Amino acid sequence: MTSRFVSSAILTAVITFLIGPFFIIVAASLSAGDTLAFPPRGISLKWVLKVFQIESFQSSFLMSMGLAIFGTLTALAIGTPVSYALARYKLPFGETIRTAVSAPIIVPGIIVGLALLRYLVIPFGFNLTLALFLAHTALVLPYAVRVVSASMNNLRSDIEEAAVLLGCTRFGAFVRTVLPNIRGGILAAFILGFVTSFNQVPVSLFLSGPGVRTLPVDMLAYLETTYDPSVAALSALLAFMSIGIVFLAERFLGFSRYV
Amino acid sequence: MFQNRAESLALALPAALFAAVVFIVPVLILLSEGLRLGGDWSLAHYVSFLSTPLNLTVFIRTLKLGALVTVAAAVIGYAAALCIVNLSSRNRGRMVGLIVLPLMISPVARTYAWIVILGRTGIVNQALTSIGLTDAPLRILFSETAIFIGLLQLFLPLMIISLVSALENMPRDAISAARVLGANWLQVFWKVILPLTKEGLVIGGTLVFTGSLTAYITPAILGGSKVLMLETLLYQRVTIANDFASASVIAMILIVMSFSANLLLKRLATARAKR
Repeated sequence: MTSRFVSSAILTAVITFLIGPFFIIVAASLSAGDTLAFPPRGISLKWVLKVFQIESFQSSFLMSMGLAIFGTLTALAIGTPVSYALARYKLPFGETIRTAVSAPIIVPGIIVGLALLRYLVIPFGFNLTLALFLAHTALVLPYAVRVVSASMNNLRSDIEEAAVLLGCTRFGAFVRTVLPNIRGGILAAFILGFVTSFNQVPVSLFLSGPGVRTLPVDMLAYLETTYDPSVAALSALLAFMSIGIVFLAERFLGFSRYV
Repeated sequence: MFQNRAESLALALPAALFAAVVFIVPVLILLSEGLRLGGDWSLAHYVSFLSTPLNLTVFIRTLKLGALVTVAAAVIGYAAALCIVNLSSRNRGRMVGLIVLPLMISPVARTYAWIVILGRTGIVNQALTSIGLTDAPLRILFSETAIFIGLLQLFLPLMIISLVSALENMPRDAISAARVLGANWLQVFWKVILPLTKEGLVIGGTLVFTGSLTAYITPAILGGSKVLMLETLLYQRVTIANDFASASVIAMILIVMSFSANLLLKRLATARAKR
């Protein structure tokens, strides 16, 4: 009896520590006052509405969305073939290649961003949007390879061998037997990649300029000058968006099986 | 297993080339920059970086906070994970879901909440002054304590998840057997639970430690411009002083620490596979 009481006390404390701050953000964003405060002074939606009127948030939101979608799609487009080659072939330098494509997960994002700025953007005149796209693709690539590899390893190779023996081309066998079976893994990788890219700050920190900025970097910059609850409101909206995406993914895909 | 070398290389080529051009080569050039003075190889930048007291303070602070956060996460993680594995499987799933949930929320949002909680007029200070523990509000924000709290909240879920899966794989009878044989709870923990879940602890610990070393947002928001960690120092050196040599030295320190932690993990994983 006592141990059950102690156990629920511990879990309540841990959950409060982990999730409590999120509720405070939501409450503070509903404040009618002009400064960030908890408990909120009166309830209003004015800060939530203001978020939609701040122009830089609109452009940086679109930038982050575009990077998260196209960066993740590109990472999957190059990551799926390499995962397939690693799983099904005796790939020369296989381990080296696996390390190379997984390395961005180990190297801090801020270093990737700085290296890109110094050695691609400045000397070769790449524009920042392209550099951000490359950086976000590099960031997501390890997740794509890891999740797709995991679902490939769960798949027996004899069905494709059978398809080839029955006259399919190698590519045809991949499309007809492998792809339908790893569809869930690819979707899970897409969602994980999207959320990772969208919330990412350090990799984009150095790669921003006038009008070219990701949303979280823009929020950080806004925080330096203003102390009003609009960032709280935006944070709350984004959090609901991420939770919604993950909830739907879990509901329809059993997302957590893959991660 | 297919044997065609050319085919396999063609499949791997786009990703390998991408990683090389976008990532590996630029990062290697950046790292080499700190090892050169004029045209020659030299350790001069490392010597001057580490002999500057401020840099050394930041370096030690980063290691210290990383270690403290890891230890705190391990202690809280064990307590939470032990409670979680005792739940019914339905409730266990829900609890793990709640613990993973914050990982989906933007770190900017999660860190920013601490400003509201720890600030001069924040909840903590309101509570402390109303009970009469302090007369003037405490300065918690922009301190190492604030960074510690922020990092702990950010990375605790990773530790709890690794410990939960380690405990789930542990033979459950071991605990009751030790109890029946007369061990008290402390002995059960040290002699049974800890040795049997060591791998989960190392995996969680590596994730929390490297995460804390390489976090940017939390020290930037909760440490301000005075309480720097290696990542925020790197950013300042580049943006304020245009000092790429120091940036390269910091990058090398961060990468070496992060790589060694991951090597340790990999060795552990292979040792486990051999067994």
